[in-house]
Amino acid sequence: MIHFDNPAPVKLKGAGGGFWITIDPSHPEEVLIEEIDKLIKNLKHLAVNADVTLDLGDAKGHEDLIRTIKSHLEKNFELGKISTSPQKRSVPTERIRQRDLSRGWNHHRSDVLMLRGRVRAGQKINARKHLVITGDVNPGAELVAGGDVIILGKLSGDVHAGFPDNDDAIIFSLGFNPSHVRIGARIAAGSDDSQGTAPEYAAVEGAQIVVRDYMKEGPFRRLPWPEAI
Amino acid sequence: MEGKIIVVTSGKGGVGKTTATSSIGAALALEGKRVAIVDMDIGLRNLDVVMGLENRIVFNIVDVVQGRCKIDQAAIRDRRIDNLFLIPASQSDNKDVLTTSGVERVCNDLRKKFDYVLMDSPAGIEKGFQNSIVGANEALVVCTPDVSAVRDADRVIGLLYARSLEPRLIVNRIEPSRVERGEMLSHEDVMEVLSIELAGLVPMDEKVLISSNTGTPLVLQNESKAGQAFRRIAKRLNGETDVPIEIPTHKTSMWNKISKTFGLK
Repeated sequence: MIHFDNPAPVKLKGAGGGFWITIDPSHPEEVLIEEIDKLIKNLKHLAVNADVTLDLGDAKGHEDLIRTIKSHLEKNFELGKISTSPQKRSVPTERIRQRDLSRGWNHHRSDVLMLRGRVRAGQKINARKHLVITGDVNPGAELVAGGDVIILGKLSGDVHAGFPDNDDAIIFSLGFNPSHVRIGARIAAGSDDSQGTAPEYAAVEGAQIVVRDYMKEGPFRRLPWPEAI
Repeated sequence: MEGKIIVVTSGKGGVGKTTATSSIGAALALEGKRVAIVDMDIGLRNLDVVMGLENRIVFNIVDVVQGRCKIDQAAIRDRRIDNLFLIPASQSDNKDVLTTSGVERVCNDLRKKFDYVLMDSPAGIEKGFQNSIVGANEALVVCTPDVSAVRDADRVIGLLYARSLEPRLIVNRIEPSRVERGEMLSHEDVMEVLSIELAGLVPMDEKVLISSNTGTPLVLQNESKAGQAFRRIAKRLNGETDVPIEIPTHKTSMWNKISKTFGLK
């Protein structure tokens, strides 16, 4: 007799390195265990050390049933890890994945001012948002940016990131040796001893500006996914 | 063929603009070119003293620009070197008496009369400087190896680029022994900041002071290291491409040489 409207109480399929057992909890416990036994026995040696996931679908409140089946399997078979199907992912995780997949930066319009060449003494550069310069900034030059300042070269001269009051801005350069640094409302004088040979960045920590080795403690390495700025 | 106007400038004062202008001008004349040296430092003229021609001044560049005389009347022929002329500055006026359009007009005339015209720019970046670069085809930036001179030269280089002039650099007054001891910037340090084409390196030379005070051309003294460096610069400006840039060195004593060879120093 074939039950069209009442599908098999237990279904088994391969999943990753183990098996996925879908259980219909509307059947009696004995029937389910019997069916599971039958299926696993058919697998013979394939079942040895295989991880098994028990999936009761959307049904809730069957913790006893799961526990019974789990202990039964542990007693009678040499399976690997027995687990239940993971719950639906939490909302933030889901959002992260969606953001990652949606590639928001594809449609990002940026206010970055990107320049190349040398900025000389007496020259002043104002950027509405971020400022990127591929080249050196000489002593006596002046940079002002509403956001971050990124210098792919030696940075001397005066630099003001996060103008007028964005304390989150950073200043990065391959050779960090400015005479004067400002981030948002904070202000600091350049140090004389800095040789400016390693990539460094300045950021506000607490109430003051600190300069750190970019390769050792980059400010963005802990961001979960690339974000457009 | 029209001549070239080369402006010699620096931003900072006292780095050797006037010495460089007179020496390079004289050296170019020795190469057989017809050369005029123009003192654009109106009100503080001293190129005539350096060249030893102060007592022969009748007219000056202000007279030329304002149309009171012709270029030939103002140009003073040098006593020792043929084809070398000086157009002196006025000592009684100030820098505002010249207009850029007037200077530009005179520059066009000068180009027709001479192979090379060297403009000795005043220090600073104001009107006097603007006037001296207005008609220039080329620019030489003189810089000494110290931080403030480099800063000012950097500023001037930016302004020259803004005028579509591609400047070349002369690093003046290099003292090799002090560079070696780390007391002075090396020409590499200067080049690293300024990063423009190098026209030449000139060593510190006591004979410069003597020659300026006596009004004798530095480039005629074979034993003057600076004079010889300026002659090489003139040759390069004149299109000789195979004149190598000599890096000033100081005489090391025999004992130092021996120590170095044996790795003791």
